[in-house]
Amino acid sequence: MSNDREPTRRAFLKGGAVLAAPLALATPAVAIAADDRAERLRRLEDEAAIRALHRDWLRRVNGGADAAGLFVDARAARCLDAAVCGLTGDPAASADTIEIAADGRRASGRFLCVVETQSRIAPESTLAQMALAQGGGVVRERARRLVSADYVKAGERWAIAGITLREA
Amino acid sequence: MPAKPDPKVPMHRFAFTKLTESQIGTALAKVAATGPASASPRTDALKGKTIRIVTDKGGPTLAYRFTADNRLTVSENGGKAVAAGYGALVQDRITLFTHLIPGTLRGYGVVIDTASNIATVVELWFGGYQDKREVMREIYAGYVETAGKAAPAGRHVATNRFEGKGFYWKQDTGYETLEYYPSAAYSHFVELTGRGDELGFCGPSDYIQIDDEFYIITRTECEFSGTFTLSVVDLNRQEQIGLRLGFDRTDALDYYVFRGRGEWLGQIAQFEKLGDTAGGVIPIPEGGGKGARRVYRPLQTMPKMSKAEVAAAVAKGSRVFAPRTGAGSGAAGMATHGTPAVDGLAGKSFTIRYDGGPVMDYRVASIDTLEWRKDGGAWVKARYQAWEPMPGVFLFGHLLEGAPDHDGHSIVADFDNGLVTCFNGFLNTPYIANEAGARTLFGVLEGAGIPDPGARRHARTRDMLGRALTWNYAPGLSSMHLYSTPTTTSWIIFTDSGAGGMEWSGPGDFVKIRDGLYFVYWLEEACNGTLGTIVINMRTMHDAGIGYHCGTEGLSMSQVGAHARHAGLFDVQRFFPKQEG
Repeated sequence: MSNDREPTRRAFLKGGAVLAAPLALATPAVAIAADDRAERLRRLEDEAAIRALHRDWLRRVNGGADAAGLFVDARAARCLDAAVCGLTGDPAASADTIEIAADGRRASGRFLCVVETQSRIAPESTLAQMALAQGGGVVRERARRLVSADYVKAGERWAIAGITLREA
Repeated sequence: MPAKPDPKVPMHRFAFTKLTESQIGTALAKVAATGPASASPRTDALKGKTIRIVTDKGGPTLAYRFTADNRLTVSENGGKAVAAGYGALVQDRITLFTHLIPGTLRGYGVVIDTASNIATVVELWFGGYQDKREVMREIYAGYVETAGKAAPAGRHVATNRFEGKGFYWKQDTGYETLEYYPSAAYSHFVELTGRGDELGFCGPSDYIQIDDEFYIITRTECEFSGTFTLSVVDLNRQEQIGLRLGFDRTDALDYYVFRGRGEWLGQIAQFEKLGDTAGGVIPIPEGGGKGARRVYRPLQTMPKMSKAEVAAAVAKGSRVFAPRTGAGSGAAGMATHGTPAVDGLAGKSFTIRYDGGPVMDYRVASIDTLEWRKDGGAWVKARYQAWEPMPGVFLFGHLLEGAPDHDGHSIVADFDNGLVTCFNGFLNTPYIANEAGARTLFGVLEGAGIPDPGARRHARTRDMLGRALTWNYAPGLSSMHLYSTPTTTSWIIFTDSGAGGMEWSGPGDFVKIRDGLYFVYWLEEACNGTLGTIVINMRTMHDAGIGYHCGTEGLSMSQVGAHARHAGLFDVQRFFPKQEG
């Protein structure tokens, strides 16, 4: 998959190393170590904020609440098929990944999830009409999906730029 | 007793009179004072007693004084007592009595377990539905109040524990039925005539458990006479006591209590989760008032077209094995689990000679195109599809474009044996023009390398009689077939919990193709009008099928295919005399 839109964590780290090298020529070792710790702390805080943002989005999706406020553009919040009624982290999945760009203003996340969908069957046959008439005719399905999210930092707050789901 | 069934005008074809409340009231007034009829001696066990029945959840409180073996007074909710006739029967420790409220269109049926004093009260009334002759019911759980004693904690409860059973019943009136209970919300009944060509019909039912042995079963003949029947079934003794209230096909009032003796027909599988015994499996519609429940009313909901409207719809274009044919188009959407179409007929030329029917010549060009001609006429190109449910046996179907009744042929051709059966669907039946009719044609197959069967033919079979098969067509679309008579296919729709829910039925036919391979149809007469034809392979437990349907969207032929499970077999062969042909 192309990473043009989604700078990788490795790219971020590489960028950080390139930026750090000239400073090493003129800066005392103690100062370098302090900067590195601050950078790592900032990165950890960003990762934690993004994870919290993802959890908040999951909560809103599962609770049927409006998630527009978590997105840069409210229109991007309509990223899920109307049939999706539940989205939970896949406990069997390997660790989710969050990668933060070198500029610290953009990030991407990939999360394995179980998507639950619920849709009404079409009344195309007598059987379907009867199922609907008795209050049923709802198809519920569960499938593992990879949630790919792009994030943008606006001021000190992270927001979701876009989310796509694809087969895991 | 009910008017004798008339096989020439089956229940779904009979035009029941739209009785007025005044007509109903006049008829009820005659029996309100005398109570119900009874062919068996009524019990006098209640004579001289005074009882008060308390029901739960806003139900009535009924104070009774039984002044004679057929007279009582009743006070509803502390109101003025009124005198009425009643009839009562006793079965072991169960007492059933029923009465009307004079001057009204209402009455009650009451079942008391005298060992526990737990009671079920069924309020009955006419006029509550748009067809006034249909009996409405509301069921209240309660108990008989006993001075100085606390109310019993238990209640009779709605249950699925009766689901899957079947009984032959003979009432003391002589009325004989086969009754199948493959659903927890509906039941299927066959009024036996001894002819062997009976059709079965369905009605919404209540199933209430008294204990492991006794159950209260109700049935309302909605869409037909509207008659209500309640019975208390003693499973071990295979006996019943009950009441029947309604107007028969001659508009005579049936109001009687009865005793019945039964024969056990069997128990088929249930598909709820193990441990699930819940009843009331179809949710009551939101905002529904007293007596509200979901009832399947296909005659009301199906689009009914005239012959001219059918011709216009067909002229708009027919859809033959289109991927989807749109809302209301019969069997469309019923093939997600179907097997793929095959090209085994491509390149073949053959002739089918039907006994007493047409001679059909075929030239098959490809997997989906053939040419046919009837009785040596002009060749007509048609779209078709074929499946091979068993090696050498092909199911294929096509429309006969230009036929005055817009015929469609669903054909099973056994190339190894030279035998053919066709379910010939057609429109413009005398009842509803867009409702399919069906005729079964037997014949032989002629062509290069095809053996001559001589006088042999496929033949109708009783192998499927009494069987129940589940069909899973697609996610969320499952049903169960019950082949309840030699000429009936009934279908049951599962609820989300796997319980049997709504049920309906129509004419059916059953032909043996080979050992383990059967060609079957169901005909949705007075119910959407679809003809569904399926080849059932009892070894692979899969079918291959073709639906034929006409609605406002036009004429369509579509694939049917589903995974099967064998739900069981009712032992009913002995109730249907063998018929030839």
